[in-house]
Amino acid sequence: MSARPGDAGGNGAGARGYRPHYLAHRVRNSLLTLGGLAVLLVVLLLVDGGASVKLKQVFALFAIWGIATVSLNLVNGVTGILSLGHHGFMLIGGYVTGLLVLPTATRDNLARSARSELSDFAMGLSVENWFRALGLDSLTTPETLWARFLVAVLIGGLMAALFGVVVGFPSLRLRGDYLAIVTFAFGEAIRLLASTPLMSSFTNGALGFAGVPSDIGKSVWWTFGFLAVTVFVMARLKYSSYGRALQGIREDEIASEAMGVNTAYHKVLAFAISAFFAGVAGGLWVSWVGTARLDLFLFFLTFYFLVAISVGGTGSITGVLLGTALVVWVRQYGDPLEQTYALSTWAVAAGLVLLAVAALAFFLRRVRRIKPDLGPVVYVPGALGLVAALVGLLGQGMPALQATWQGFGMRAITLALLLITIMILRPVGIMGRREFTWAWLFRERLDEPTEEERAQDAWLSNPALSGRAGAEREDDEVDA
Amino acid sequence: MLRLAGVNKSFGGLQAITDLSFELAEGEIVSVIGPNGAGKTTVFNLITGVYTPDSGDILFEGGSLKGLRPNAIVDRGVARTFQNLRLFTNLTVLENVLIPQHHKLRSTWVSSVFRTSGYLAQERRMHEVALEKLSFFGPRLMGFRLHQSVEVLSYANRRRTEMARAMATGAKLLLLDEPSAGMNPKETREITEIIRRMRDEGGYTILLVEHKMNLVKDISDRVIVLDYGRKLAEGAYADVVNDPAVIEAYLGKRSDKTSAVARARAADGLVAGSSVDVPGSAAGGEERS
Repeated sequence: MSARPGDAGGNGAGARGYRPHYLAHRVRNSLLTLGGLAVLLVVLLLVDGGASVKLKQVFALFAIWGIATVSLNLVNGVTGILSLGHHGFMLIGGYVTGLLVLPTATRDNLARSARSELSDFAMGLSVENWFRALGLDSLTTPETLWARFLVAVLIGGLMAALFGVVVGFPSLRLRGDYLAIVTFAFGEAIRLLASTPLMSSFTNGALGFAGVPSDIGKSVWWTFGFLAVTVFVMARLKYSSYGRALQGIREDEIASEAMGVNTAYHKVLAFAISAFFAGVAGGLWVSWVGTARLDLFLFFLTFYFLVAISVGGTGSITGVLLGTALVVWVRQYGDPLEQTYALSTWAVAAGLVLLAVAALAFFLRRVRRIKPDLGPVVYVPGALGLVAALVGLLGQGMPALQATWQGFGMRAITLALLLITIMILRPVGIMGRREFTWAWLFRERLDEPTEEERAQDAWLSNPALSGRAGAEREDDEVDA
Repeated sequence: MLRLAGVNKSFGGLQAITDLSFELAEGEIVSVIGPNGAGKTTVFNLITGVYTPDSGDILFEGGSLKGLRPNAIVDRGVARTFQNLRLFTNLTVLENVLIPQHHKLRSTWVSSVFRTSGYLAQERRMHEVALEKLSFFGPRLMGFRLHQSVEVLSYANRRRTEMARAMATGAKLLLLDEPSAGMNPKETREITEIIRRMRDEGGYTILLVEHKMNLVKDISDRVIVLDYGRKLAEGAYADVVNDPAVIEAYLGKRSDKTSAVARARAADGLVAGSSVDVPGSAAGGEERS
C-alpha cells in the first residue's frame, strides 16, 4: 500500500523538489508497512483467539464485504461506470460455491426431501466427488474443506466473470444513467431467474439450500486472506498502465479513444475482473450465512456497497475499505439503535449527534480556511442540537417526553444520515480520490515545488519578469 | 503520407464537407484555415475516425482509415489534439502523457499485476518517452509539475500537455486543432517555435487548424482554405491570402456595404500577419448571403 504512482518507473525528475532520498524513504516505508501488517496480524490473532464470537463474525463480514466493495470500486470508481448489478454477480458466485461445497450428508437429506427441487444432476455437482474421482481422497475429509472451497470459489468467480463479460457488452453502446439502469436490471433479472422453475433445479427456487459449511466464511484468517489478495490485485491493477487507461476512460472516454485506448476492451475487462471478485465475495458470503437464499442478494446489498464507496471516497481502495468498515460497524453493532427508549433519551442522542456534526463542520471550515468560521452548516445543526439536547435533559420530568419509542429501522436511517452528512461536508468522500500511503501521511508531496522551482516557475509564467510588458490574452475562439 | 480523395460528409441536410481532396507529404506542416463553420474541425474528425465519410476515401501511408475506430487510427500513426481541451483532468501531467502509450503495451493485465520484468521494462520506457515529449516544452511541465493534476495547470500549460500527449501516442502525423487558442502573443510565438521543432527534431508531419494568421504565416509550408466545406484554395501562404476568392470568403465582396476602413484593417491583418485575428463570424457571416 506504500506504492506511489510516480515511483513505479524511476523517473528522471526525481532529483528536485520534495524528492525522496529513495533508499531512506523506501526503507522507512517498508518498515512502516511491515509494522502495519504486524499490528493487523496481532489484531486478527486477538480477535480470532478472543472470546467474542460476534466480533469474529463482524471481522469476517468486513473482509467479505470489503472484497465486494473493492471490486465494485474498479468499475464504479476507477473506470467511472455506475454499475448497480453487483448483487447479481455475487449471487452467481454464491450459489455456485454453495452448491459445489455442500457436504454429502446435506446432499442426501436434500435428495430425500420432498420439497427439494434440486435435480440429480445438480446434486452430483460436488468438488468432493470430483476429488474422489481424481483419487485425491485425502482432500475429501472435513479438515480439508478449504481445498474444496478454494476450487468451488474459483469456479464461482469464473462463472460470475463470464456474466461480467455479458454485462460489459451493453457498456459499449450505453453511457451514464442508461447503462446504470441496464446493470440494475441485470442484477434483478439474475435473482428472479434463479427463482424460476427454469433454474430451480440448481437453486432450489425460493427455498434455496441450507447447510453450506461456514468454516471458511466465518474464519477471520481465510476471509482476510481473500481480502488481501483482492486488495493486492486491485491496487497493482490501479497503478499499472491498465489502471491508468481505465482512469482515462473515467475522465474522458472520447479522449482516451482518441489516444489509442481500446475503450471497448477495457470496459469489458473491468466488468469481468470486478465480477470475478464479486463472485468470490458471494461465495464467502453464502458460507458466512451458511445458506444460499435469494433474499441474501437483494439490491440492498449493492446499495450498502455504494454507500461504503461514496462515504470512503470513490476510486480510493483504502477509502472504500474505510467506508466498508463504517457500514459494517453500523449494521452489526446498530442493535442498540433499534431498542425502545424514552423520548427524552432520543432527544439527547439526536442533540449530541447534531452537535458532533456542527463541530465537524466547524473543524473542516477552519482547516479549509473558509470565512466566516460559523457558516449555516455549523450553526443550524449546532443550534438544533443544542435545543434537542437541552429539551431532552431539562424536560425529563415532562409527561410528554416520558413516552417511549422504538427505533425501528434506525440502523438504515443512521447510515443514510451518515451518507448525507458526508456528502454535504465532503462530497468526494472521506479519502476523496487519494489513497492512504506513508508519503501522504507524512505530507511528502511530489507536486509541490522547491524554492528553486518556485522561482523558475514564477519567471516562466510572469511576463513582467521575462521581459514583456502586458499580458493580453485573446479570448478562446469559437469554431463550429 | 496522408491523402483525402473526394471526401463527402453530410449531417442530415447539411453538407458539411463536399468533395474534399488534398495530400500531405511526410515532414510537411500544412494549415487548414477558413471562416467559422467552414468544416475545419469536421475534417479532423473525419481523419481521426470520429465521423465516417459518406463517400470518398482517406488513405494514410497507403492504407485506408475509413471506417476504423479512433483507437485503431492511433495505432496506424495519426493522433490529434482537441480544440476544447480534452485532458484527463483529475490525473497528473505524467499520467496524461503515459495513457496514450498504453496502446503500445505488449503485456496482459495479469503480467501488469504481477509486475513481470517485461512489463516493468515497458513501463520504464513509457516514463522515458513521457519525459522526452514533455521536455519539448522546456522546464514548464517538468519537475513538480509532472505530479500535479492537470486541473491546477494554466490554460497554456494544458494546451502544451495536450500536445505532449498527442506526441506520446507514437503517431507520425499530428493534427493540432488550434494549438495557440487562448495564448498570449508571447506564448503563441513560443508555440510556433515548438511546432517547428516538432517537425524538425521530432520528425512529425503536422496538419493544423488555426485562426491566428501570424502563426499560420510563420510555419506553414502550405495552406488549405476551406469555406462551406469546399476547398477554396491551396498553396503557399502569400499566394493563398491574395486569392480573390479567399478574401471574398473572409471579408465579403467589395460591393457589400462594409465600411472601407474596417475592411482595410482586416485585410491588413490577413496579409501582414499582425496579431489581429481575422474576423470570421462577425464580419463574414452577415455579408455572405
